[in-house]
Amino acid sequence: MMTCLEFRRRVGAEPAAAEPEVLEHRRDCPACARHQDELRAMDGLIERALKVSLPAKSQVLVEAPADASRRRLLAIAASLVAGTAVGIVLLLSAPRASIAREVIGHVTHETGTMDTTAPLTPAALAGVLDPDGARLRPDVGDVTFAARCIFDGRVVPHLVVRTPSGPVTVLMLRHRTISKPFHIDEQGYEGIVMPAPKGSIAIVGQGVANLDAVAQKVFDAVDWGR
Amino acid sequence: MNRGDGDTDRRRRFGSLCESLRPDLLRFAWWLARDRGVAEDVVQESMLRAWKSFDSLTDESKAKAWLLTIVRREFARSFEKKRLELTDVDALVAAESAVLAAPGDTRTAEMREAIFRLDTDYREPLVLQVLMGYSTKEIAEMMGMQQGAVLTRLFRARAQLRQQLGLAPEAAP
Repeated sequence: MMTCLEFRRRVGAEPAAAEPEVLEHRRDCPACARHQDELRAMDGLIERALKVSLPAKSQVLVEAPADASRRRLLAIAASLVAGTAVGIVLLLSAPRASIAREVIGHVTHETGTMDTTAPLTPAALAGVLDPDGARLRPDVGDVTFAARCIFDGRVVPHLVVRTPSGPVTVLMLRHRTISKPFHIDEQGYEGIVMPAPKGSIAIVGQGVANLDAVAQKVFDAVDWGR
Repeated sequence: MNRGDGDTDRRRRFGSLCESLRPDLLRFAWWLARDRGVAEDVVQESMLRAWKSFDSLTDESKAKAWLLTIVRREFARSFEKKRLELTDVDALVAAESAVLAAPGDTRTAEMREAIFRLDTDYREPLVLQVLMGYSTKEIAEMMGMQQGAVLTRLFRARAQLRQQLGLAPEAAP
């Protein structure tokens, strides 16, 4: 038969233990039974304590549009996951794919982000840009989406800025250096990738009037930080 | 099924796993790292590694354990040494106060901080057992330890929590 010490060692490691010898000892020793009950109750508290709330940085969209439907938010969240997976696929299966293809691939898998309309809070935007020490001047337009996405195997800021000419997706690609700007025109999207003080920046939209001027304005509004 | 369909299916299955398991992976990484930024990075890197070796996962019912193992290895590989340089637990508590908070629930908040202050050797098996629901045998396999050693750590983890929370001390095993 189990001793009290053996019983307490056993249930101290696994409060839910219910082997025959544990049950037998419980029947014969009310003090040990009470001790196990206390440990089980404590485990309930431990479980609650362990369930910390950790919304992913890529879910700052939770703080986005108050008028957006839950369905749209879920669609965006799902697209983030899909976009992440697709980004990985692009990285692994097509390492020589052009920046243009990768940019458009990312944008097309997160199309829901372009529909967001309500401005993010400055704190939500800072949560995405702070890790890179970057800033965006507010006069460029409302930022309605901000996330840190996997792109080309790196985590990069992905913003949607509502400019007077329409919404544009902005990808800050610190890890991709280019020597001169080039245009993108694929799958109904138009964009421009420009050399930046740190890597490059891609600005993409659909039917945005005077895209070059819009892109330049966005470019000028970015402080790339350290 | 042609290759394109296979890739699409593989991508869909991986995306689905990531979507459903990411919250648990992030929690586990946070309890290991005790740093939100590090936890995010560990999970991102782990997902990249998981995608590369996705074909080695033959039983998707074991995906969670598989991914948790990748997370703990990634943490050990990339970040644990960095964290060892920052052993000021009070500073970590202050830095992660937003996550540790449990508004309106003092007991949970106290327990959360007590767990946060546990040594990693005790914190990790406790998280795997209570939060992730693994048996001591499964934890031993994941951590590459003897089951007896896991039982001892779990006993000590709870004993230390009782001590931190001012409850009656427990006899040492």
